Parts: sequence; C-alpha cells; structure tokens
Amino acid sequence: MSEFLTVKDLVVEYSSGGQHVQAVNGVSFTLGKGETLGLVGETGAGKTTIAKAILQILPDPPAKVLGGEILLEGKDVLKMPEKELLTIRGSKISMIFQDPMTALNPIMSVGSQITEVILLHNKISEKEAMERACGMLEMVGIPRTRYVEYPHQFSGGMKQRVVIAMALACEPELLLADEPTTALDVTIQAQVLEMMNDLREKLQTTMILITHDLGVVAETCNKVAIVYAGHIMESGTKEDIFLSPMHPYTHGLFGSIPKLDDKSKRLSPIPGLPPDPTNLPEGCPFAPRCPKATAACRQGVTPNVEVTPGHFVRCGELVQKEVD
Amino acid sequence: MSRYVLKRLGWLILTTIVVAIIIFTIMYFVPGDPGRLILGNTATEEEILAYDEALGLNDPFLIQLGRYLKETFLEFDLGTSYVFKVPVMQEFAERLPRTLILGLLCMVISAAIGIPLGVVCALKRNSLVDHGAMILAMAGVSVPQFWLALLMVILFSVNLGWLPPYGFGGIEYWIMPVIAGSVGGIAMNARQTRSAVLETIRADFVTTARAKGLSENKVIYKHMLPNAMIPIINLLGGTFAMAIGGTVVIESVFQFPGIGTYMLTGINQRDYPVVRSCILILAIFSTVAMLLVDLVYAYLDPRIKAQYVNASSKKLKKKEGESK
Repeated sequence: MSEFLTVKDLVVEYSSGGQHVQAVNGVSFTLGKGETLGLVGETGAGKTTIAKAILQILPDPPAKVLGGEILLEGKDVLKMPEKELLTIRGSKISMIFQDPMTALNPIMSVGSQITEVILLHNKISEKEAMERACGMLEMVGIPRTRYVEYPHQFSGGMKQRVVIAMALACEPELLLADEPTTALDVTIQAQVLEMMNDLREKLQTTMILITHDLGVVAETCNKVAIVYAGHIMESGTKEDIFLSPMHPYTHGLFGSIPKLDDKSKRLSPIPGLPPDPTNLPEGCPFAPRCPKATAACRQGVTPNVEVTPGHFVRCGELVQKEVD
Repeated sequence: MSRYVLKRLGWLILTTIVVAIIIFTIMYFVPGDPGRLILGNTATEEEILAYDEALGLNDPFLIQLGRYLKETFLEFDLGTSYVFKVPVMQEFAERLPRTLILGLLCMVISAAIGIPLGVVCALKRNSLVDHGAMILAMAGVSVPQFWLALLMVILFSVNLGWLPPYGFGGIEYWIMPVIAGSVGGIAMNARQTRSAVLETIRADFVTTARAKGLSENKVIYKHMLPNAMIPIINLLGGTFAMAIGGTVVIESVFQFPGIGTYMLTGINQRDYPVVRSCILILAIFSTVAMLLVDLVYAYLDPRIKAQYVNASSKKLKKKEGESK
C-alpha cells in the first residue's frame, strides 16, 4: 500500500486579541489508500482543526498553519495554489461536517446544494447533475421528491444524510468525517456507518473519522490515533490500540467506558480537565492528569517511541522503563 | 401565498383608516382657528364665526369625523385647501411625483452605495478601509439632515456658486436635496450590511460551501450574501419610509415644492385638509413599502414563506372542518 496521505509535524495556531491557542502541535500520521484512520480525543483536542487544515478551509484569521507538511499523493497541500485547491476540494477530498443543523445553506433547496458540487467538478449538463443528486439522495435514504425542499423541512438525522450525500456526491478519494454520527440516534448511526463502510469498499475511499466514540472506531477504522491537546499521544492499528494500549491517556479513555463483562461497580474516569490550550504545560501535556507522571515528564520534549512496528506512543515514562 | 397578500392588503386599508382617524382627531384638538388665521387680525368675531360655520368647523367632532371619512374613503375627495382655495388632489398631482422621486432616489442611492460599502467593510474587516468607512458611517448616522443640508448650501451655493441654493427646476436643483437625503441612509445601510455579512461570514454553511471547492467569489455571492441580504431587505422598507419622512425637512431647507413643503405650509396655516392629506399619503406610502419588503422577504427566505403558506393552509383546514 503506497502512502496516500502523509501529515508531518503539522502545527496550527489560533490567535485572537493577543492570545495564542495552540490547537495542533506537531501532528504526524500516514494513511495508505483505502485505510480508515480514527482520530479519537476529547472535545477541543484539535481533531476538527487537523481535518480542516487538510482541506485548507481553516478560517484565516484567526487560524494559521505555522509549520509542517500535508502530502496528498506526494504533493504538499499547504503549498498548493488556491486554484489547484479548488479542484481538489469537494471532489478529491470532501468533508462531512459535525453539526448538520447549521452546515446547510438555509435558503437553498437541499437538492440544489448537492447539484452545485456535482456541477462544479464534473463536465455534465445541469439536468444530468440533478439526476445524479437525486440518486445521491436516494442512496442515503431520502426520497427524490424531497429534492426541492429546504433544510428547515428536514429533521436533524435527515439533514446529516443530506450532508453525507453532498460529501459523497463526487466520489472523493479522501473523506474527512467530522463526528458524522454524533448528532444521530443509535439506529440511524448504524445505518450511516454501514453506508460509509460500503462506500469505502466500493470506491476504495480513504477516510479520516473524527469521533470521541471508541465504539464507532472499533466498527469502522483500521488505524487509530489518540489526540490530546493537539498532540497525538498514541497511534497504531486498531488492534494495537484496543488490545495493547500503552499510553496512560489511552488507558484512561478505555477506563471511562462501561463494560458488560467488568464486575467493578464504578467507572474509572480520568481525573481533572484538559489543559488550557492558551497555556499548555511544559513537557507532556497530559502530565498534570497522569497517574504515572514523574518529574521528568514535566519538562523537555516528550519522546515518541515506536513500541512495535507502526505502534507509536508519546510517553516519557515508557522510555524510562525501557532504559531500566 | 395569494391569500397572505390579500390579508396584508386588508390590513393596509385598515391601517390607513386608523391613521386617518388619528390625524383628524389630533388636528381637531390642536389649538388654532383657520378662520382667524386666514381672515387676519382685522376680521371681526362674527366674520370668523361665519367663516368657520361655512367650512363646517363648528359641527360636533363625530359629525365632522364622519364627514371627513366619507369624503376621503368613499368619494376619494381630499377636500380643498382653505388657504390656496385649490383642491388638494390637484396640488398632489403636481407635488406627489416630485416627493416620490426624491424619496425613491434617496432610497436607491443609499442602497446602491451603502450595501456594497458594508459588504466591502465586512470582507476587509479591521482593515484601514473598514475603520475609515465605519467612522464616516457613524458620523453619517449621527448628523442631522437639516444641518448637513445647510452646510452644503453654504459650501456649494454661497462659497463655490456651483448649485442653486433653493428652488425647483432642472437637474441642478435636485442634486443637493438628493445628497442630503441619502447620507443618513447610506450610513445606516453600510453599518447594517456590515454586521449582517459578518454574521454569515463565520456560518457553518459557508465553510461547507468552501469545502465543496467553490471559488471565494461564488461563496460570497451564492451563499454568504443571499443569507446576509435577508435582514438588509427588511431594513430597506424602513429606509424608504425614512426617506419619505425625511423629505419634509429636506424640502423645506431647499424650498423644494413637494409634499413636505406643502404640509409645512398647511401646518402653519391650520389648513386641515392639506395636513391631513399629506400625512395620510405619507402613511400609505410607508405601509405599501413595508408590504413590498415583506413580500420580497418571503420570496427570499423559504422559512418565512413556509410560515405564511402553513398559516393560511391551517386556517383553510379549520374552515373546512367548521363547514362540515
């Protein structure tokens, strides 16, 4: 499998009123064609920012990519001229947005919003594009007669399907799904995930799935990256992360999920809150909440250790153990 | 939708009648005696009484009101000016077009300059252009029209001698009244447009549009502005009403022979038919402008249109139920 997408040392900062929020601090990962990466982390960890940076739709100002590379089939997206980006956005890379309630233009019919993106990237007549948009609506389970209706006439789940139909309309090679199922109830959630899985099998779509739901990750992803305060704390295959998690934060995440076969009465959540992104602690950002943190964790750069091939853990404690 | 329009027209007629009753009542109770003012100081008490008697001004309030309403709304006779002895209708035929053109020109110019200015300021927010334009707009909103008009007279007529200070005739007589009448509207439109556009600039659906690969221009003209226009259209009705009302001041400064000067003379002379008719006609134009704006509004925003359609269809169903 060749490297389809490589993100290297990506740094993104938001600045407003003299304050700087370090949203993404040196994130790196690679994805082969057809692979699915799950970006897992708490709210505000910088997951959406990573996705928007790949698509180059971060609002500037206040967001700024300060460094790094995003290579799509070897070409750096960050250095691409706007004209080239326009041809990629929506066709080669597309994104499913988090909040279906606000992601659709309220004064355009849902059908024409889908037709718009099809027309933009395909040299076909408007009639053909409309026909394809109707087909997309049907694919996500919305009758074609609702083409002319407006977003306010749809429920949240239906709107999310429209957003998905819009993202898939041009058969993207890379799909950035930003919490595509968070706004949906469980039955619809399963349908949407199945739909996305089908698509991946049919079109060999590479996918980045942003979520805080480890259950969704288990169902759809083959690679997982655990994001915390703009850092990837642990990354590897799904098996690496689910079967042999190494990082204390990953342990904490799993400890926060109730298990049926576990006899203990209480969950073991992670104590404390994520750090203030305007003022990240020195050293490992997780150190203040980490049960295993040592004095060495609170200073210097935390090493990124490859414990087994492809399984990276960013933890000073682990290095210490290996030295001992 | 047509039911809604009919309903609104019904309301318009009702509003007009209520306005007529209120004006009549106010004029009835305002101190001052047309007979005394017209006949002058030399007239005897008997002459004045006879004069008022002939005009029917000594009849009880309700009889006078009834006669006024009947003449105005059933016979479409606005009466004859006490002072000029000319039917108000005849005077209107000459003056009304001038005031309407003046008001419309002011509205069109405030929209044509103010709205694009606001858009530019919003798109280049916090730039030098934005700050400069907004300071000017703040001044434009705050400056009283008559003061601006007088300053313009001093500059362009007295000092430079470019334009006639007052009167009516060719295009040179229109320039200063139109400018003086537009400045406030330009400033108001610019400020409102700027904030309306800024509100949509960060909207999620704009990010969606960008993610589709639409060029920045298309994002602005197809997605951002149509949404931002909704509150601005709403404002335009107010701008027109304000421009029409503002003509009273502008016309009197420039001695422009429109409805405004006519009304002012009427007020000074207690020329009841003139005052009543002028206010009534201004009220009608304002309400019609509001109605037109509401219809455009409904046309632009499917959410509002849906409310109207639903409201009338619900009533229809209710009525059908009752008739069964």
